[in-house]
Amino acid sequence: MATLVTTVTETLRYRGKIGQWSWVLHRVTGLGTVLFLVLHIIDTSWAAFYPDLYAEAIAEYQSPLFTLGEFALIACVVYHAFNGLRVTLLDYKPEWWAYQQRAAAIVFGATTIVLIPTFGFMLSHVADFYGEDPDLVSVGDIIETQSQFVIGFVAIIAAALILSALYGLVSRSRSGFVLPGRLEAAMWLFMRLSGVLILPLVFGHLGMMHVIQGVFDITGGGIEVVGTDIVNDSGKAVEFVGARWDMLVAGVAIWRVYDALLLALVVIHGFNGLRTVINDYALQPLINRALNWAVVFGAIALIVLGTAALLEGVDETAYDIAVDINETTASAAY
Amino acid sequence: MRVTMRIRRFNPEKDQKPYWADYTLDQVEPNDRVLELLHRVKWEQDGTLSFRRSCAHGVCGSDGMRINGVNRLACKVLVNALDSGDHVKIQIEPMLGLHVIKDLIVDMEPFFEHYRSVMPYFVNDDPLPEDGRERLQSPANRAQFDDTTKCILCACCTTSCPSFWANGDYVGPAAIVQAHRFIYDSRDNAAAERLKVLREPDGVWRCRTIFNCTSACPREIEVTRAIAEVKAAMRRGVKHPDPE
Ligand code: HEM
Ligand code: HEM
Ligand code: SF4
Ligand code: SF4
Ligand code: FES
Repeated sequence: MATLVTTVTETLRYRGKIGQWSWVLHRVTGLGTVLFLVLHIIDTSWAAFYPDLYAEAIAEYQSPLFTLGEFALIACVVYHAFNGLRVTLLDYKPEWWAYQQRAAAIVFGATTIVLIPTFGFMLSHVADFYGEDPDLVSVGDIIETQSQFVIGFVAIIAAALILSALYGLVSRSRSGFVLPGRLEAAMWLFMRLSGVLILPLVFGHLGMMHVIQGVFDITGGGIEVVGTDIVNDSGKAVEFVGARWDMLVAGVAIWRVYDALLLALVVIHGFNGLRTVINDYALQPLINRALNWAVVFGAIALIVLGTAALLEGVDETAYDIAVDINETTASAAY
Repeated sequence: MRVTMRIRRFNPEKDQKPYWADYTLDQVEPNDRVLELLHRVKWEQDGTLSFRRSCAHGVCGSDGMRINGVNRLACKVLVNALDSGDHVKIQIEPMLGLHVIKDLIVDMEPFFEHYRSVMPYFVNDDPLPEDGRERLQSPANRAQFDDTTKCILCACCTTSCPSFWANGDYVGPAAIVQAHRFIYDSRDNAAAERLKVLREPDGVWRCRTIFNCTSACPREIEVTRAIAEVKAAMRRGVKHPDPE
């Protein structure tokens, strides 16, 4: 029973083979993507509820700091997806264990092969953008906005800790948050199933947002919005999202359905992953309970928020407000 | 050749915390085993060095330790398998995840507790066969659990597992290997009870398919495969090739 610190340092010291490093990377990339996902779902909901904030968020996504993060994010998702397939395959074909090292190497190779052209496309979008001498959000502004998220996370965890302590006093419970074995088995299965479903969905999503069009085209005026036949006249980010969500194929808003599926699968998958990591390292019952509650609350809150945004959509008034506000702030700022 | 042994020492009666100590040995043969070098340190240089060993032939499972960063049996590793040259350095420390009693000796009790939790014994209360002698089994059914009969409970696997380091309540690969040996034995009747233990959150679900256990096993047991087969048994039950 080593402490968290020993566990982490010894994982780096123990000379495990490639499988150990695959696991470390799988964990780090999964956690990194979850962090992004939380910000992303909150940001995206602004397109429906606070169009002016959405414009700012997308402007920050287009800043150099986030561009670096974007490359890292893509690498994380691609590696995690391929390694997730490897793990799932070995779970269902235990007799293939002898190929696991080769499979781990193939995962690294496949990740590289997919990333090279992807990064190529992304770099060309970046080059186009900087060729036009863009206005960039300052690092100070980014820190200011993003620190609000950090404060929010800290507040949620602090609240969960207080609740957990109170619960501990009242119930005298000495155990952490434990799922019954049957549910644990169901979640294990869900991780594999959802992973296989998420893979095409998230690759499609990233393909549209990074390869076919770039993050910079979200505010591209006069460009046909990816996956639709609607032109983004105003060049406002909310119009981009509005076009995608209002695109009907045979009467169905396909991108809303797509986003809803992605939302539900990815949030449950990511937050259950978060839960397994918490249960590995946060063993003290009070803390374990608090973090698990925060995870359950967080997952529900994000799904509710994301669904609300999808149902609300980007309506005309929101779009007008965005145009107005952007024009006034734009004239004030520049 | 000359070998420098860098050994993690700890005597709870004297030391505040563990420290590294170096011992240099000359005239080491490349095919000496690490256990022999430990003997030489103890017998020629420092009699207080403590470690477990018994059979010295890879059978009893008592000298599991971390050698050059990987868990192995000291009696099964030759110096030339680690390194070659005139001057070789070998680093030795106790297995991680179990409490260190002294130097390389760890408290194995939590490990054996997990072992006992999966009922590692044959359970069958059916009446004996007609001839009163033997419960026969087809070769194919016997082959299903052949690999997992080889375990010598050395704990190399369990103490190589990052999930076990983080949380000592995880039953660990060795206990799952032992459970596999009986779950897949067509003559045994207690598979359901063992699976019930392993279905708990501290059971098989803590395995993250890292494969450290498989590389550590000195008996070359396909540990991670056995774990995956136990997970499969939870989903679709245990099937045997031949009807009994
Ligand atoms: C920097 C990279 C990304 C960009 C620029 C981006 C862009 C967008 C945009 C513009 C939308 C609005 C809806 C739409 O147009 O379909 C959206 C929605 C969404 N994205 Fe992304 N995306 C990125 C990465 C990701 C990743 C990695 C995931 C999964 C982990 C993800 C999951 C989602 C989900 C679930 C929604 C729906 C949110 C809701 O219902 O409110 N996105 N994304
Ligand atoms: C793209 C397809 C994906 C596949 C095939 C996939 C597959 C998997 C699998 C099989 C596991 C279980 C690993 C284990 O139990 O050992 C897992 C864990 C995890 N996944 Fe994914 N996943 C995918 C996407 C995502 C995304 C988009 C996120 C982030 C929102 C994510 C976050 C996580 C986290 C945090 C874990 C826990 C890691 C751990 O326990 O070490 N995954 N994934
Ligand atoms: S395969 Fe499972 S039991 Fe073996 S080291 Fe990895 S996590 Fe531990
Ligand atoms: S499975 Fe191998 S490493 Fe694990 S206790 Fe048994 S013999 Fe030792
Ligand atoms: S001393 Fe018995 S296994 Fe090494």
